[in-house]
Amino acid sequence: MKGGWAWALVLPPLGTTLVLFVGPLVYLFWVSLHTASQSELYGHALTIQNYMAILGDAFYLAIIRRTLAVAAVILGISLLIGYPVAYFVALQPARRRMAILLLLLFPLMVSNVVRAYGWVAILGRRGVVNTTLRDLGLIDVPLELLYTTEAVVVGLMTILLPYMVISIANTLASLDPRYQEAAQALGAGPVRTFVHVTLPLSTPGVASGMLLVFLLTLSAYVTIALLGGPRSKLLVSMVYDSVTAFQWPHAAALAFVLLGLALAATAFLLAALRPRRVQGAGR
Amino acid sequence: MSDGANDVRLERVRKSFGAVTAVDNVSIDIPRGSIFSLLGPSGCGKTTTLRLIAGFEQPDAGDVYIRGACVTSIRPYRRDFSMVFQSYALFPHLTVAENVGFGLRMRRVPRHERAAAVRNALQLVKLDALGDRYPRQLSGGQQQRVALARAIVVKPAVLLLDEPLGALDKLLREEMQVELRSLQQRLGITAVFVTHDQEEALTLSDRVAVMRNGIIEQIGAPREIYERPRSEFVAGFLGASNFIDGLVVANDGAAIVVDTRAGRVAATAADIAPGTTVRIAVRPERVRVQRSTDGGMPARIRDIVYRGPITHLYMDSAAGPMLSYRQNAGAETWRIGEEIRCVWDAESAIVIVPERA
Repeated sequence: MKGGWAWALVLPPLGTTLVLFVGPLVYLFWVSLHTASQSELYGHALTIQNYMAILGDAFYLAIIRRTLAVAAVILGISLLIGYPVAYFVALQPARRRMAILLLLLFPLMVSNVVRAYGWVAILGRRGVVNTTLRDLGLIDVPLELLYTTEAVVVGLMTILLPYMVISIANTLASLDPRYQEAAQALGAGPVRTFVHVTLPLSTPGVASGMLLVFLLTLSAYVTIALLGGPRSKLLVSMVYDSVTAFQWPHAAALAFVLLGLALAATAFLLAALRPRRVQGAGR
Repeated sequence: MSDGANDVRLERVRKSFGAVTAVDNVSIDIPRGSIFSLLGPSGCGKTTTLRLIAGFEQPDAGDVYIRGACVTSIRPYRRDFSMVFQSYALFPHLTVAENVGFGLRMRRVPRHERAAAVRNALQLVKLDALGDRYPRQLSGGQQQRVALARAIVVKPAVLLLDEPLGALDKLLREEMQVELRSLQQRLGITAVFVTHDQEEALTLSDRVAVMRNGIIEQIGAPREIYERPRSEFVAGFLGASNFIDGLVVANDGAAIVVDTRAGRVAATAADIAPGTTVRIAVRPERVRVQRSTDGGMPARIRDIVYRGPITHLYMDSAAGPMLSYRQNAGAETWRIGEEIRCVWDAESAIVIVPERA
C-alpha cells in the first residue's frame, strides 16, 4: 500500500516529464537523423549527414571551439572573482548573509534583454565608454567594444557571477567550523587551513557553481545575439539561424551537439572535482 | 607566575558572550602527565574553558599558560596542543592515514618519518589495517580512534578532549574510557577532558573540576569530589544524594548530632556550633535499611526498583524522601509499604554549605 501511494504521488510529474520533455527530445533526435525537406519538417531519408556536416566542417568546429573558449573564460573569471566574494559572504552572520545574497540576486530581476541593451549603451560606438575616452582626448576613433567576443564575456559574466557566488557561499556557510579548528589545532595557519581543508571541502559548491555557469553559458542566447553581433556567434546562435532558415534537421543535430557538449563538460567537471568525496562523510 | 611542573595553567580567566558570562574567574593548574576533567551540565562553561586553552576563544580577562609560557595572545595554530572534537571533525576528503599525518605534515615532518609515525599511532589505537580507508567508511568507534590517533601523533604538550566519547554507545564508551586512560598513562600526556558524564569523569581523571554557571564549584581528586562534596550542587550532580535539613544540637569534635523532623541523626564532624541550621547529604549506597525499631531514621518504603546488582529503595520519612541502594547479596527482601529504619555511619553524612539563594 505504501509503495502504491508513493507511485501515485510520483506518477503525475513523471508522466508530465515523459510527455513534455523526454518524448520531444526523442522526437528531436529522430528529426536530426533525417534529410531536410522544403515542404515538411524533415525529409524521408534517414541520414547522419547533419552530424557529419557539423563535426566535419571547419566553420562549425571553430564555433564549437569559440563556444567552449568563451565558457571556459567565463568559468575561470567567475571562479576567480566569485570565490573570494563567496568566502566573504559566508563569514557574515546569517541575517547579513541573506541580505547580501538577496542583493546579489537583485540584478537577475532585470530582464536579460534590458541588461544587454544596457551594455550596448555603455560599450557602443557612441556609448558611455567611447564618448568619455573621446572627451578626455584619449582616442580619436571610437573603439570597437561592442559586437566582440569580449563584450559577450562581460555581458554573460554579469548575469552568471551571482550563481557562482551563491552556490559557493552556501557551501562555505554550511561547513562545520570544527574542520577549520581541527586544522588549526594540528598547527595549520590560516593559509594552509584554507588550502588543505576549506578549499577541498568547498568543492561541492564550486562544482555546482561551475556547472550552473557553464550550462547557462551554453544555453544563453539573448546576450550573445545582442552583444556578439554577426562575428561572435556561439553554438546557440547557429541553432537559431538554422531554424529561421527552415533547416529543422540541421538545427536538431546542432541541438544534440550542444547537449553532448553539456553532458561531456558535466562529466569532466564532476570527475575532476569529485564533490561526492566530501559529502555524506564522517561526522 | 607559572610553575614548570604544570602543563596548563589558567589564571583568573573570564569570558563573556554578550550578557552571558560563560567562564567567570576560573583558575586551574594541571600537572604534567595527568588527566584533568571539566565536569558539569551543558552551558556550565566547561567547553568554553577548553576552547580558551586552545585559543579558539580569547579571554576577556586573565591569562592562559601552556608549559609555563603565556599563550593568551598566541594564535591557536602556534599553541602546543591538539584536540579531539565531539564530532571528531575528521577531514572527509583525506584517508585515515592522511588524517593522522595531517599535523605532522603541517609541522613539515619529512614524508618517510611521517609514514612511520602514522603507522605507530594507528597501531596504538589498533587501526593499523585501515589507513587507506576514508572516515565515512568507518564506524563511530573507529572514527573516534582515528581522531585520537590524529591528536596524539603530534606529541602535544596538552591533549584537549571535548566530550570525545559522547557519541558512542554505553558499552563502547566504557571500553574507550579504559583504553583512553591506559593510552594517556603510557604516553604520559597531559590531558584536559570535558564531559557531562560524572561516571566518565570519575573513571578517567586524576582531578576533576565541577563547573556551574561559569564558576568552578569544586576541584579535587575524584574520591574527594564524590565523598566530600562542598555544595549541594556537587553532591547532587555527582551521583545521587539524600538531603536532610536540621539543627545542630551537639558537636563533640568527632561527630555532630543534627535534630531533623525525623528525629536525631549523626553526621560527620564539621566546624559548626550547636544551634546552627544545616543541610546534610548522605549517599544512597551509604544508607542501610533495618527492620529493628530502635535507632536510625524511621521511614516507609514507597517503591522498589530491582536493577540486578543493586536494588533501589525509595522511601518517605518525616524529613523528606530517602533513597537507598542495596547490594544484591541474595538475602534481603523488602515489601512496599514496610516501616523500616534508615541507618548510616556518622562519617557518611556530610554537612554541605547551604545553597546560595
